[in-house]
Amino acid sequence: MIGTNRRKLLVASAVLVTGALTLSAIPAQAFSVRNEVGVTSNSIKLGITLPMTGAASPGYNKIPGAMKAYFDYVNANGGVNGRKITLVVKDDAYTPTASVQATNELILQDKVFAMVGALGTANNKAVAALVNPGRRGIPDLFVNTGFSGFADKKAYPTTFSLFPSYIMEAKIMSMYIKENFPGKKLGLLYQADDFGRDALAGFKTGGVTFDVTVPYAPLSQATPTTPPTWITKLQAGGAEVVVLFGVSSATAAALGAAYAMKYHPQWILGSVGGDATAIKLAGVPAPLFTGVQTASFLPAPADTTDEYVKLFQTINTKYNPGATFDNNILAGMNTAFVTVQAIAAAGKNLTRKGLITAIETKGSTFASAGLTPMAPTATSHAGYNGYWFGTYDGTATLKPNGGVYTVYTTDSGAGAVAKSTYKRPAMPVNGLPTN
Amino acid sequence: MTKARVLSMLSATALVSMMVVALPTAAHAADPACDGKLTLNSCGGVTSDGAPYAIQVPGNFNGTVILYSHGYRPNVPVPAGIPGYGGYKVTNTAETAPGQSGGNMAITQYLLSQGYALTGSGFARQGWNADSAVATDVELIGIVKKQFPTTKKVMAWGQSLGGFITQALAETHPDLLTAAAPMCMAAGTVENELTMAGDFLWGVKTLFDPSIQGGNYAAGAAGYAQAMGDLVKFFTVLGKVQAGISSGAWPDTSSATGQALAKAGIPVRSALLLIGLMSGINTQSAHFDSISGPAGALKLAFPLAVSPALAVLENGANAGALAILAIQDVEGQSGGAIFDNTKTDYAARVATGSVVFNVALGGDEAIAGMLGALSTANPGAPRATGNAAAMAKMRALIQHTGKISIPTVTMVGVADPITPAGASQWLADKYAAQFAAEKAAAMSAYKTTGAYVPPKKQLVSIWSTTPASYTKFDATAAPITSTPAAPGTNHCNFTTAQFMVVAKELVSVDKTGGFVAGSALATLVRKAGNLSVDPMYRAPALKFYE
Repeated sequence: MIGTNRRKLLVASAVLVTGALTLSAIPAQAFSVRNEVGVTSNSIKLGITLPMTGAASPGYNKIPGAMKAYFDYVNANGGVNGRKITLVVKDDAYTPTASVQATNELILQDKVFAMVGALGTANNKAVAALVNPGRRGIPDLFVNTGFSGFADKKAYPTTFSLFPSYIMEAKIMSMYIKENFPGKKLGLLYQADDFGRDALAGFKTGGVTFDVTVPYAPLSQATPTTPPTWITKLQAGGAEVVVLFGVSSATAAALGAAYAMKYHPQWILGSVGGDATAIKLAGVPAPLFTGVQTASFLPAPADTTDEYVKLFQTINTKYNPGATFDNNILAGMNTAFVTVQAIAAAGKNLTRKGLITAIETKGSTFASAGLTPMAPTATSHAGYNGYWFGTYDGTATLKPNGGVYTVYTTDSGAGAVAKSTYKRPAMPVNGLPTN
Repeated sequence: MTKARVLSMLSATALVSMMVVALPTAAHAADPACDGKLTLNSCGGVTSDGAPYAIQVPGNFNGTVILYSHGYRPNVPVPAGIPGYGGYKVTNTAETAPGQSGGNMAITQYLLSQGYALTGSGFARQGWNADSAVATDVELIGIVKKQFPTTKKVMAWGQSLGGFITQALAETHPDLLTAAAPMCMAAGTVENELTMAGDFLWGVKTLFDPSIQGGNYAAGAAGYAQAMGDLVKFFTVLGKVQAGISSGAWPDTSSATGQALAKAGIPVRSALLLIGLMSGINTQSAHFDSISGPAGALKLAFPLAVSPALAVLENGANAGALAILAIQDVEGQSGGAIFDNTKTDYAARVATGSVVFNVALGGDEAIAGMLGALSTANPGAPRATGNAAAMAKMRALIQHTGKISIPTVTMVGVADPITPAGASQWLADKYAAQFAAEKAAAMSAYKTTGAYVPPKKQLVSIWSTTPASYTKFDATAAPITSTPAAPGTNHCNFTTAQFMVVAKELVSVDKTGGFVAGSALATLVRKAGNLSVDPMYRAPALKFYE
């Protein structure tokens, strides 16, 4: 009968909890140790869904290679508690329904232990609603989206954020704008979905009012006649500083249209839309980046003084040959690094439940490349909580303003924005987390 | 893609099922007439309420009879020329096993070869007939037992409305049955089944053609004429919507509300998709997976922006047609309008869908605009008000409690457009609560007796799944809709191998008292293909419950 052993195990657990009952009537097999799905004595299988093909794939499609490179590095050094990590990659082309299909395959056919780094707000929401890893107890680690809702443990019991939320980003950006561009006419170009809605909430809390607001429907940037209409509205409104909260393809479309229409505001890009790799692949030449500002929570990819960047570059050269190191590689390796940290923290007897508990109880102390701490707790599955601002030069290289990382921190609620005092702990020896 | 190609997807075979088992000519009320052949004794007769029935008893009869209840057949003829149903004439021909209506005798032959006798009626009344059908089935069981006294056990199964009847029979007469298998079942109440269809029809009427009456039909012949007129209008306007998915144009019959949305730049495909999502119409259909795109420029845009609407079009054609036929039928039984959406919160219903299909819906602004247009605040989108007395009468029709007291197997396609998988999920959820209570009771008894007697699991849920991707495109990047419907889509669209899994579960219960389970079941479903018995799979709930 389906689920017999599982039922007996649950029954046995209930009996043990009561403490007052004899054990003689409970079947012996109730106490047998059940092998966790996707875990053997020498292996751990993880899965990821993201766009590897299609219009949304440039840049993002470098992430799995980076993650695999770091996992290969860990595996070459003995794995985690003797277990080597494999990553099964499924292409969803950024289509939510494809994400659902791909995740079902990862769970039912590939039998992964956990999902890690699944990309996209709508994609992850679709998976949560239709695959329901939360109900199944399947860890959904460090999703590649800053949608604030994924930190809600009640709604998404097994999902963990890694990125700071878009609300945090908008709140921090609000302070940055007020400090650096007082009196300027402000424009906002944003994607009209959960992503942009999070940003609007953050700007409202942050106390910034835009003189011109231009929402755009997702994917409308692909229609050549659309981006010029954005620019026309921003120009007509006299916006001197334009915040763009959209995806990189929209950034490329906006920068291209603005250049053609001789409109040169101060651009401030949200972290999602500030991916230089994707923007350049969309046809924007590097010189157009000059002076464009954006936000990040990781060190700059070109900052070889950073020990994580330095190590990750070395790993990338050895285990991911041919892939140019950029923010996507950095982000992918960092996600893999935090994943290894979490698996190590879960101990030798690796279970899905144990992994979730480990992140909830120890996640705030995890080492990582992030310049702010992670913030998971037993009641919240929030990720990093801060940003620094930088400016691109004419080679599309991002450098922190003033040459130093001035990190601001906040929360997704009404909390104030403050300069972070966080001092990142030293990287574990050889970049190999052990606990 | 032509209108005919999409609309030809209507699953008339499942709704309008015909029987191929020949009845003896000498049949008369209550007493079956049998041909007496030793290898297969074929009998026929008519129950006391006038339902023709058939009984087939093999020479190696093993003492177990399997009773089949067929699915929904309209209770009115449908004039020629109406897509899907045109030319249908009301029939109460008996069926004794799945597949017979399509000429597939494999399941019949398998069960007969195993020594099982088969029986089933055509029911005295068509349309929504669960109350009378249960009574017919009970009487038929008695007739079979009387005619064949060596009968020891009876198992019941059925499809669609027949699944509803089967579950109702199992709930009300568990003493008569050893096992039950409601397949692609309607579940709970007739009201929740009709709500999905009614919501979709209301949306089409409200935006695309307000001349569609959409319910509250007159009694008698006048109401029949109104319903047939609605069918014509419904399919005509869907054809216009289909054309508009490519051109962007809204139907020329669109309401003022629809025209305002069109003027605001909202594509007709987005409006159609929203109506589908708020009704609970599946976004995967016979030919549209909402995943695949043609090579080239539309690779991403097609699945993100277009395919979900085309899926709703294919599925909605089934749902809306059902709404017209079934609403007219149930209104006739109840004495007035039985669809009421005066309190329906469509915005809440699309909370998840508006995220998953944000692109196809045109983004937040477009979604807000459409929901505003369809809200109760807009007098240009009048809600349907039911007749209180008629609705009370409808609610007095037989309902499921969800209680399972005999071994039960369900099977449904995850993208069934008529009886959504959520109906079977409803039963699974009810049983999960029942099983939890039984476990608690067992534990409580253990505390006093010292012996733990675990409850026996009585439900196996089988899901017919869609392939990873299945939309095909021709050389011009146009989707191909001439191929057979994908597994997991369309109504009761099961292969013989999939039916066999259910049949073998019934055989297992008969022979061993338990289901095929564990690795044996895994092997069985794997070999059948496109099936899942993942206990953690959850189909989305019917919107009726949201």
